[in-house]
Amino acid sequence: MPIPQQLGKGDRMGRGPYEKSGMLEDTSLPPLRTIITTHDIFFPVKVEEKDGKKISTITSETLDLEVKLWYLPFGTMDDDPFLWKEYKKTVKISTQGK
Amino acid sequence: MKKSLYLLAALVLLVTGNMLCWAAPSGVGRDQPLAAQPKADSIAELVARYDSSSCVGCHQQAHDEWAKSIHARSIFGTGRTAATFKTAIINGAMDWPASGVKSPKDVKVEHLQGCTKCHLPQLADATDKVAQEIVTTIWDWDAAMKKDDTDKAEKLEKTLSSLNINCLICHNRNAITHKWSEGYPKKDTVYGSKSGEHMDGKFTKMAKGQIMSESIMCGQCHGQGPNFDQENPTQCATGYASYLMAYVPEGGNKTCQQCHMQESKLGHNMQSYRSKEMAQKAVEMHVDTNSVYWRDNTTIRPKAAVRIELTNKAGHGIPDG
Repeated sequence: MPIPQQLGKGDRMGRGPYEKSGMLEDTSLPPLRTIITTHDIFFPVKVEEKDGKKISTITSETLDLEVKLWYLPFGTMDDDPFLWKEYKKTVKISTQGK
Repeated sequence: MKKSLYLLAALVLLVTGNMLCWAAPSGVGRDQPLAAQPKADSIAELVARYDSSSCVGCHQQAHDEWAKSIHARSIFGTGRTAATFKTAIINGAMDWPASGVKSPKDVKVEHLQGCTKCHLPQLADATDKVAQEIVTTIWDWDAAMKKDDTDKAEKLEKTLSSLNINCLICHNRNAITHKWSEGYPKKDTVYGSKSGEHMDGKFTKMAKGQIMSESIMCGQCHGQGPNFDQENPTQCATGYASYLMAYVPEGGNKTCQQCHMQESKLGHNMQSYRSKEMAQKAVEMHVDTNSVYWRDNTTIRPKAAVRIELTNKAGHGIPDG
């Protein structure tokens, strides 16, 4: 999201269009480029103590993933959010093996 | 004596010649466009000057497409634009000590130009009385909305929506950016893809608009950043700057019109992300997932490794702003 600079000076964002005169930061998607991000989403585990050791076990072998690309024209989900793209997949982890 | 007379005559010629040079006007034809006529003194007069209702008879499809676009309600918008005019006056002009605006009654054309340079470029061809009429209408509309006076609000919305970016703004008033090299837009001519006679009582000629299919046409408003020609510069849309400085250097070679009008098949219904066609074209998202069973003796941390690729295929940053 481009963050306009208030009246072209300082570190404050200009909120109304009448205040926009510079740019503090721009995290928008640049044209004709691919932006790659990676994320680790952990499966839920249960941790128990046995013989003085902490042992973790998985509580579910599947995980429902949802990736959503939202555009928030006014900066928050409360004000006219736009769902641009959506991806859903259930991933599975093995239950066999040591 | 004779020699002195020759010298005097030469001096007179020299001075006259210089005067002729000084008298040569710049901006030849500047007084010809619709914009150069005596300033409109009411909203109704301004609407009448740029009345494009006679276009509809022959250009029904283009009109119907345009009517769905935000260009058709560039002052009112969805209501949010009108409300932002009010905010810009209260939080902007009224807050700035040297603006000369202490109350909405002080607002003149120049105070609205930060917004209207693009939302209503023809306001430059109107008196301060029109600026006042617009401000009053916005204030009254807002009050009617707050009182749930729907009839009054709708009536005022209609007035505000009569001010828009219509056929004549793009195909006449703003059709020529380089007026010294191509001449000023003529008040009897519409600029488009053809030249010749035009079947209209007022706009009797057609001329080929040199920038009608060029990005600069849209760049006039879908902007480059702060408008330094104004005494309190502001920047709103920056799409053309992003097009020039980011899209083209990345190898992009399409025009605004190619994506927003032709490939989208939306024609004069120029849209952005809210249109399904544009949203689908603009961004590609690929997601890869891989499950990984990380372990260390009694500790396990199974995880899904998610890789997201977002590709912006538009001719500008997303979002632009």
